[in-house]
Amino acid sequence: MAHAFPFSAIVAQEDMTLAIQVVAVDPSIGGVLVLGDRGTGKSTAVRALADLLPPIKVVAGCSYGCDPASGQALCDSCRSMTGAKRKTAMRPVPVVDLPLGATEDRVVGALDLEKALAQGIKEFAPGLLARANRGFLYIDEVNLLEDHIVDLLIDVAASGENLVEREGLSVRHPARFVLVGSGNPEEGELRPQLLDRFGLSVEVKTPQDLALRVQVVRRRDAFERDATAFRAEWEGANLKLRQRIVRARKAIGSIDVSDTLLHRCAALCHTLGTDGLRGELTLLRATRAHAALLGHKAVTADNLRAMAPLVLRHRLRRNPLDDTGSGTRVQRALDEVLSA
Amino acid sequence: MNGTDTEAEATRLARVWQDAQFALLALQLDPQGLGGIWLRAGHGPVREAWLASLQASGLQTVKVPQQVDDERLLGGMDLAQTLQQGRLVVQAGLLAQADGGAVLLPMAERLAPHTAAQIAQAQDQGLVHSRDGQQSAPARFAVIALDESETEEAGLAARLSDRLGLWLDLRGNGLADTLATLEALSPQELREAQAQLRQLQATPAQVQALCEAAWALGVESLRAPLMALRLAVIHAALEGRDTLDEDDLRLAARMVLGPRATRLPEMASAPDTAAATATDSPAQPPSAQTEAPPADATESAQAPEPNAELLVAAALASLPAHLLDRLALGLAPRTPARSSGSSGQALHSKLRGRPLPPRPGQPGSGARLHLLATLRAAVPKQRLRHRPEGSGKVSLRAEDFHVHRFGQASPSCTIFALDASGSAALQRLAEAKGAVELLLQQSYARRDSVCVIAFRAARAEVLLAPTRSLVRAKRALAGLPGGGGTPLASGVQAALVQARALQRAGSTPVLVMLSDGRANVSASGVGGRAQAQADALTWAGQWHSSGFAALWLDTSPQPEPLAQTLAQRMGAQYLPMPYVQAQRMAQAVQHMATQSRTL
Repeated sequence: MAHAFPFSAIVAQEDMTLAIQVVAVDPSIGGVLVLGDRGTGKSTAVRALADLLPPIKVVAGCSYGCDPASGQALCDSCRSMTGAKRKTAMRPVPVVDLPLGATEDRVVGALDLEKALAQGIKEFAPGLLARANRGFLYIDEVNLLEDHIVDLLIDVAASGENLVEREGLSVRHPARFVLVGSGNPEEGELRPQLLDRFGLSVEVKTPQDLALRVQVVRRRDAFERDATAFRAEWEGANLKLRQRIVRARKAIGSIDVSDTLLHRCAALCHTLGTDGLRGELTLLRATRAHAALLGHKAVTADNLRAMAPLVLRHRLRRNPLDDTGSGTRVQRALDEVLSA
Repeated sequence: MNGTDTEAEATRLARVWQDAQFALLALQLDPQGLGGIWLRAGHGPVREAWLASLQASGLQTVKVPQQVDDERLLGGMDLAQTLQQGRLVVQAGLLAQADGGAVLLPMAERLAPHTAAQIAQAQDQGLVHSRDGQQSAPARFAVIALDESETEEAGLAARLSDRLGLWLDLRGNGLADTLATLEALSPQELREAQAQLRQLQATPAQVQALCEAAWALGVESLRAPLMALRLAVIHAALEGRDTLDEDDLRLAARMVLGPRATRLPEMASAPDTAAATATDSPAQPPSAQTEAPPADATESAQAPEPNAELLVAAALASLPAHLLDRLALGLAPRTPARSSGSSGQALHSKLRGRPLPPRPGQPGSGARLHLLATLRAAVPKQRLRHRPEGSGKVSLRAEDFHVHRFGQASPSCTIFALDASGSAALQRLAEAKGAVELLLQQSYARRDSVCVIAFRAARAEVLLAPTRSLVRAKRALAGLPGGGGTPLASGVQAALVQARALQRAGSTPVLVMLSDGRANVSASGVGGRAQAQADALTWAGQWHSSGFAALWLDTSPQPEPLAQTLAQRMGAQYLPMPYVQAQRMAQAVQHMATQSRTL
């Protein structure tokens, strides 16, 4: 089993690590879009986080990893089992890679050809979306993703379940996951509908500071020499982080969001001219999750200051000719709103 | 002077070959750590010699053909065997078979992007997941990518090349250089070296020096210093040493960092660097010589601390002269293509796009079996095939197979050929830029791409390669100079080259020519109106015979008969536009694009 790089050992890229943690606390924020150069540790960070999170309780033998505690979001076979018959098991949080050029039947799932041919029975072979349920779906080069797969993902992300109607099958199964997309904006544009699905967006660059670069190289080298020892070294920090996230998840229901802050969120979105109301909603959820992560009881202007660029950066596009990253505009609007 | 140059070149080539041999040894020792080898060499005796050494080295290689489908690559059901034997027969994927060895990619520059992505993913994780994702098999392998592209063509995709530690370029070598071979390692030696490998570790100062050297050479990726470190460790292990020393670091800098250099460091012209380079390499490229005064031999190269400058010098010493010149001029060496090269990529994959009704055909090599249509074709023939009733199995034969069919919309690409010569006012250039941006605004919704070629002075230049990215377009069009003669023939020629490449890649090209037609520079770059116009007419005729659509926007104040003739010869629509307005231009282009699409 491949070892994952410890999350707390990731050097630099604070924006990205913060965004991923926030999304782990509250998955309803939507996904994280990471735009930037190649080789900046994007997939490492996602895998590291999934490794960090506590294992999830699943119904034993269910290929969708259904949650035994949830009443609604169960696949058909789990729902038909009565409560007593459901055995549970623990499984690590799944991270599924959607490779570039994945075909539709690989993503959605298809008729199980082996069983059909060898035994003559009709059974559904789950695809990548089924494996990613209750976990992370990492899409590399999301701006090069094909249109019909993008349509699929938008659909599934919106409804939280995957509906398969093909090859004589009619299957519906839960598919709730956190979408993490990465890409290089120089290679293509993202469709605005897909862009909107991502709750937070981050820009990453390879560190320009020599000392940071040396640190990255040294840690990576130490990890590859002796992964077990390296992980043991960082186990303490990882554990602390995990506890913070678990606590935050529990506390998020009781975080207080004042009316003034809501006004400020709305004012900010209005000043920047974001489309639709998703900006405000995501801002609200993100600031709340951020406050929970830090252990605060109420959301303050600091949380807003930290989360606003992440939430709003990719929603500013009125005109496709604008560059995708508009961190400075957000900053300016933020200063304006917070000083008023 | 010529004598020493050729001598220096010969020594350099001999060293290149030695490095290539050493690369094989290194790969045996730590295939996963090094990532692999990117071998640029034409199809010929030199490459054959290297491949013979590869075979002799005993490294397990698995060849992955260019057209390989997911099932074969990652593992899955073997359809033919399953049907024949009546039970499930699973085949291990090629990547799983390569565990502990190497994957050989012939014609790697034409590898499909999704195959490259799968290979890169497996390399990262050290695992392959089978199609249904339930099983995963270990797959720790190196990749040996054989790249046959010519100098000017786009080479291996960046996604793969970034992960390959050793970049070797054997294109300059002749057969005579390949006589020296290193002996292969015996199993005993291999084991000893591998044990030694685990003990060795670089000091922090050594890591620092490598990172500094990489940074000074403008190597962005952080994988490069890591792989350089590993190569240094391998070299020390092979020589049976306990610690890393200068030689290991210099070798690593030369083999890993040198080929990836994108800029020359600001040499502090310290005399000690000159001494180090003099001892390190007999070949002294001219640009390095002008910067550091030669032969201060009293300065010892035995610095107690590893010196990044020495490493940089070692890295640069291995580069051929023309590359160094490019670096000195500030031109980055040609970066590898972002996706696979445009050299003849098959236009329609059999698995991508909106589904269409199935058709009879054999599955495999990309096409996926359409089970229902197959069964529907087989069921009526069951009685004829004497299958006992109620056995629950359907007797299938190869003639029943149906495969999925997918349809892909063919996008179009608008090629702008801008006349940036002195006779066109700068204002028109600005308008043309505006039109391009407007078009991109619209075409991004339709998934069309735009390419911009500018011609002025003596030649035509591709300013913006076909792209849908607005970010890239804005950046490329930001600084567009004007002035000089009008090399119209070169402009049309460049456009034709792009158009053909686009057609091979599956797009429909459409040309928009912005010029007043007054050519005064011929195709060979020489001035002279008569020849220039004759050349322009010839190339216009070439365009016409290619059959692509074109639009000529005449930018002269009065409709220019020269432009009209050229447009006619080209088979292009002619539109006089004395006051170029971005909006009008964009509309005209759009109109024509829709026309050509519906035809």
